Amino acid sequence: MIPLAFLQANPLGDVLNNTEWAFPLAECFHIVFFAVAIGSIMMVDLRLLGLAFQRLSPAELVRDTWVYTLVGLVVTVTAGMALFVSDPRMYLFDRWFRIKVALLLAAILYNYTVHSKVAMAGSSKAVGAIVGAISVLLWISVVAGGVFVSLMLI
Amino acid sequence: MSLYSICDSIENIGIFTYVRETPWVYPIILSGHLICIAVFGGMILMTDLRLLGVGLKDKTVAEVVGGLRPFKRIGFVVMVTCGLLLAGSEATQYYQNPYFWTKMTLLVLVGVHALVFKPTVYDHPEELDKSPVLPARAKAAAVLSLILWVSIPVCGRLIAYYEPEKDKAPQTAARHSDSTPVK
Repeated sequence: MIPLAFLQANPLGDVLNNTEWAFPLAECFHIVFFAVAIGSIMMVDLRLLGLAFQRLSPAELVRDTWVYTLVGLVVTVTAGMALFVSDPRMYLFDRWFRIKVALLLAAILYNYTVHSKVAMAGSSKAVGAIVGAISVLLWISVVAGGVFVSLMLI
Repeated sequence: MSLYSICDSIENIGIFTYVRETPWVYPIILSGHLICIAVFGGMILMTDLRLLGVGLKDKTVAEVVGGLRPFKRIGFVVMVTCGLLLAGSEATQYYQNPYFWTKMTLLVLVGVHALVFKPTVYDHPEELDKSPVLPARAKAAAVLSLILWVSIPVCGRLIAYYEPEKDKAPQTAARHSDSTPVK
């Protein structure tokens, strides 16, 4: 376990706190790349829900989009970690931050287990729709959780 | 009638006061705005990558453009509605914010982009699929779209960082009230 005091005093945190541009820059990367990650996942979800790309299989869409999902997630999470180290103590004790991270971990886990398995293997329409709907709800709640963190709500 | 008083009137319209002053309403609408960025913004970027010939190459342009069009439209309408509610509820703050005006300018450019490229690119994706190489106008549309749609959320985020000259508006108001007794 990394001591909180060390995290709190980390040099990256100093850059984020003591320059005018670093924190907003990290936020901009966070936002643009979560759009890439979630937008690409939504394409698969729309297919699973039977709302778009009817002529293509969900598996084909996963094969086309997984790289964008992965790059999007990696950049978003990296930028998010940079935001986090600007003030680890504040975030760790923030209720919304904890909720958001729990939702994010659930969403990532879901995406790379149930979601990709069902999309790749093919399934009945009903199962696909349920799996797609859960994915949409998970990712939407992650974004909302992030907004609540950023507004520093109590 | 000054711009400030116009914005002040806008801000005091019932719906905007409601958004500003009711607990949880502002964060929920902001969440809606950001969720649309995730869903709709991401799809724009995917479309652009296809037009550039970089991504989704197994799919035809027609499949990507046509498949995503209705969702991008719905997302755009919800996103703009949320954005108007947010901006209107803080109109007196926003009108003096350069990032807000930069963002509005970029949105106008999105309209120009649509006027220019809709007839030549987006309305005829099948023709783009027929040509052996993606025509330059499709790539130009994609590059400009990418620049616009990355800049817009960036400006949106930066709106929150602009600190107006302290109490600019009240000062103006104070100056008016100061001058009244002299008259």
